[in-house]
Amino acid sequence: MNATTTTIARENSSARARGGLRHELGLVAWQVRYEQRGFWRNRRRAIFSFAFPLMFLLIFGSLDSGAHLKHRGNLPFIDFFVPGIIAYAVMVIGFSNVAMSIANLREVGIIKRMRTTPMPWASYLGAITISMVLTVFASVVVLLAVGIVLMGAHVFTATLPGLAVTVVLGTACLTTFGIAVSRLIPNPDSGMPVLMFITLPLSFVSEVFFPLEGAPSWLKSIADVFPLRPLSNALQAAFDPRTHGAGLVGHDLRTLAIWTAVGCLLMVRTMRSLSARD
Amino acid sequence: MSNAIEVNELRKRYEEIEAVRGIDFVVGTGEVFCMLGPNGAGKTTTTEILEGHRLASSGSVCVLGHDPARGERALRERIGVVLQSSGVQPDLTVSELIEMYGRYYPNRRSVKELIELVELEAKADTRAGLLSGGQRRRLDLALGLVGDPDLLFLDEPTTGFDPQARRHAWSTIRSLCSLGKTVFLTTHFMDEAQTLADRVVVMAGGQIVASGTPEEIGGREQLPTEIRFVLPDGVGLGDLPALAVDAQLTHERDGVLIKTQNGLAATHTLSGWALERGLTLRSFAVAQPTLEDVYLALTGTSEDEQPTPGSNHEEVSR
Repeated sequence: MNATTTTIARENSSARARGGLRHELGLVAWQVRYEQRGFWRNRRRAIFSFAFPLMFLLIFGSLDSGAHLKHRGNLPFIDFFVPGIIAYAVMVIGFSNVAMSIANLREVGIIKRMRTTPMPWASYLGAITISMVLTVFASVVVLLAVGIVLMGAHVFTATLPGLAVTVVLGTACLTTFGIAVSRLIPNPDSGMPVLMFITLPLSFVSEVFFPLEGAPSWLKSIADVFPLRPLSNALQAAFDPRTHGAGLVGHDLRTLAIWTAVGCLLMVRTMRSLSARD
Repeated sequence: MSNAIEVNELRKRYEEIEAVRGIDFVVGTGEVFCMLGPNGAGKTTTTEILEGHRLASSGSVCVLGHDPARGERALRERIGVVLQSSGVQPDLTVSELIEMYGRYYPNRRSVKELIELVELEAKADTRAGLLSGGQRRRLDLALGLVGDPDLLFLDEPTTGFDPQARRHAWSTIRSLCSLGKTVFLTTHFMDEAQTLADRVVVMAGGQIVASGTPEEIGGREQLPTEIRFVLPDGVGLGDLPALAVDAQLTHERDGVLIKTQNGLAATHTLSGWALERGLTLRSFAVAQPTLEDVYLALTGTSEDEQPTPGSNHEEVSR
């Protein structure tokens, strides 16, 4: 009996060695499916991260319909607001939701269970991350569609590459930070207020909801240091008819890239501590 | 046949305290091995080292031929772990979870078969977050078995169960043994150890204080038989007939306790004496000391500190 079991196990592991990478990628894809299913089924989380930005878009967008921004070459407000809200959504899902989700996995003991299964740690974390990134992209697509179709925002084919690159880089940046900060959240109950305290003021100074034309310059300098302002600025450039070329705003993208690099380092540290044993 | 688990001189130090102080034991393949001990005895630490959650400070540990500290996938494919403190994705249903976790293992059991085994047929499409405590534990058991493990770790598997559910879980666990699986069980409950285990070790203060079969552990076979009854009004201890030389008479709260190695003869003498006089000895009972008595004597804890079955001490599943 024992001998047979051993033989079966050996055959299986050699089969896996042959199928190696394909097997692992299949496992990641499998996990992504279940992560997605769980995400959309949790109404509270889906509403908070997915429907919230959409609600802001519909409410504020309708309130200020027809307004124009004098300081920005008479740009329709909605062309400022749609990219702003996209930046906000990338932050809420990529940063806040990711941080909360990971803190929750740790708190509920799912990470502990995962470690006793043969699912490799890196594949599992990879699957969670991919799932969240997919959610961010879905949110961006919905916001764009609603912004263009219902609210009459204008996108230009010329600046679409800039829009896409900015969304991808911004998502990478905020998601890595979301994973990194999950470590600082002692328990899911206290997590939300802490994250709101970080993200809400940052949203206001980063000109996500409205432009800060008359604001003191030091406030703008503070906003420029953090990743949200470069993200919203680069996105807003893509919606601005005065933008030339592909809409790639070098300065903002550079800032985002630096933040992403820092985020990656911090993320690796958090991932190590999550899997650490004593 | 090789052993499923071999532990030699295992020690685990946390900053201030030494939680496990040099223990040795062996679990044979196909055995139900039970680790008993009060909270803080070191059994959780020991179990977590065997599962690969913690690293040993010194000593050697071998699980199915692997060192669990290396966290090899080949080992994780062959063990199942049912922990009290590990959660599940609350928004997935029972059958989805079994399906999802099953995919990680090379040899997996079918979803339907496992749901039947833990009797969650009616809850197959219910989200894990909506299950009752007992149902959650049964799901945990199903997830522990999904990879058809050779070795199953069960951490207090019936805490928080009602008596019927406990009996049921026991029969499930016993049926695993008939399949040749090895089971490593930790529990607070004496009756659980007595019913399930082939072999028991008792831990206290980071050490193994006794080991053996549930029948023989702690010299239980040699302990005197206990006879208890209530004397009728007007009859004193002095009126009792002469019993064997070793018999010890004690006055308990509401009756008499006699301890003797010669239980059969003493019972005969006492019943003859009572019948002759037409006396009724209420609550007459003859018993061997229970595993619980032995355990209490070994671990030096009083009865009040011991949890009783069904009481929700510690963290019950969330």
